[in-house]
Amino acid sequence: MNATLIERIVAVFQFEWRRALTWPRMTWMATLAFFPPALLLLMRWTAGSFEIPWQGAAIAIFALAPSIACIMAVFLWATPSISSELEGRSWVYLAVRPDGPVAVLLGKYLAAVTWALPVGLIASTLSTLVLVREQVLRMLVVQNSLAILSCIAYAAVFLLIGVIVPKRAMVVGIIYGILFEAAASTIPAAINLITIQHRLRCLLVRGLGFDESMAEDNVVFQAYFGQGSLLWHTGILLAMTLAFLVIAVAILRWREFTTASETDT
Amino acid sequence: MLLSLEQVTRLYGIVIGVNDVTLTLPEGAHGILGPNGAGKSTLLNLITGQLRPSKGKLTVLGHSPRDPALLRRLGYLPGSEGMYADVSAIEWVTYLTQLQGFRASDARQRACRAMERVQLADVQDRKISTFSRGMRQRTRLAQAIAHEPELLILDEAFSGLDPIARHTMTTLLQQWIAEGRSLLIASHVLHEIESLTRSFLLISGGRLLASGSTEEISRLLTSVPATVELTLNEPRKLAAQLVASGLIDSVRVEADRLHATTGSGRELAQFLAEQSVNGALEIFEVRSSDDSLQDVFHSLMKLHRGIA
Repeated sequence: MNATLIERIVAVFQFEWRRALTWPRMTWMATLAFFPPALLLLMRWTAGSFEIPWQGAAIAIFALAPSIACIMAVFLWATPSISSELEGRSWVYLAVRPDGPVAVLLGKYLAAVTWALPVGLIASTLSTLVLVREQVLRMLVVQNSLAILSCIAYAAVFLLIGVIVPKRAMVVGIIYGILFEAAASTIPAAINLITIQHRLRCLLVRGLGFDESMAEDNVVFQAYFGQGSLLWHTGILLAMTLAFLVIAVAILRWREFTTASETDT
Repeated sequence: MLLSLEQVTRLYGIVIGVNDVTLTLPEGAHGILGPNGAGKSTLLNLITGQLRPSKGKLTVLGHSPRDPALLRRLGYLPGSEGMYADVSAIEWVTYLTQLQGFRASDARQRACRAMERVQLADVQDRKISTFSRGMRQRTRLAQAIAHEPELLILDEAFSGLDPIARHTMTTLLQQWIAEGRSLLIASHVLHEIESLTRSFLLISGGRLLASGSTEEISRLLTSVPATVELTLNEPRKLAAQLVASGLIDSVRVEADRLHATTGSGRELAQFLAEQSVNGALEIFEVRSSDDSLQDVFHSLMKLHRGIA
């Protein structure tokens, strides 16, 4: 009996992957992956001979692939991580193992990220190939990098929501997505600094060199895309991800998660 | 020491789950008895670290309940099913054994041994959804014993089992105890526990009513009000004598039967023996609380509820 915590996390990850290999789930993930390029293909077809501007194409791809497709993929995977176990009353079997809750949480996190990654990468790659005609490689690198970061960061935040409010995780997840990631991230104030979407947008404009065509001292630019380098925003995003995971683990260790039926009072 | 609780109380808002329980249990097999809603599952949730006490302190095998070192030594079969229907039994047990801290191959071997022990080796590759209730229960037991814990905790382990499955489960648990391992089993059905252990705790309303062996509880009962039913030739005469003697709390006569409630069982028995020997009375039948666990249980429950 000497498997490390990492080995137990890997055990959960493998088990979750095996369980998830079902036709309905794969169909749903494929739909998410092919929905953005299909939509952009339709857009290109309706545009006819009109050439879609490179920057406009970049924003459209970003909105559909690293944002919507990745968010949806990790939302469906990570948010119910704990609630599904509680509702299925299987949580207790996991909770009575040494560091079981932590292994389950992080194993499920890895499973959520690795299931969502192909969705994000396929969506970003195909969308780019459908819509972009110049600097294709640069666009591919940036959009795929953003898809990876998006999956990593959003999986952590949805996992945290699932731990904080396991009984209403999906509802709160949707509210969070709308209020923070869609609305608050566009408000040029301090609040957008704590959203993942803001950081991804900052990375988009810097990765694709939008900032080169705008003055860095442009007030509007700074308000929406902040200051700092590509590395800075990447660091902040990864630090936020780590913080979300650490908080989720801390709550899981501290909190009681028994279901009503197990509480025979 | 298997278990030590020191003034442990667990509240759910204003509802009391466990109320000021203090007890120590040595290693061995022990039963926790109580009706539905008595607080058995809350107590087990406290012991396994699922819940924390609102007040008081408890240790299990010398550890606090959430200590990973304790969880390595503990196997738990909870009251609710909660199995993954879409995986095979062996896959589920192996997964949980891996989570217990065993590497994949070792966990698989242990899971196979556990499935063999619960006599499900021949169907272990079938999905859990295809299992009967009894098979699922035995699979749940397999996950609890696969890592060979020092202490096995079972919550309503016999619930919903048919007689054959009950017998299999009982035999398994008797073997477990015979191997010198500790067992803590909660149930609201007395005979389920009687076949496994003579040491039990009675709880109701979150309170510990009594603990000890059947005999110890019986001895305790001699000092608490008990009902005696006699069939005799002159019940009215005896009723008058008993009232005069002050040995009874209440008396009722029905034809040739006399029902009396007494808090002095020993003295009453002596008095009746004297009356019978003297030839003053012809007593045909005396029925009272016997040594069965069921009667002990009911008497203590009545006492606790203030009925007796």
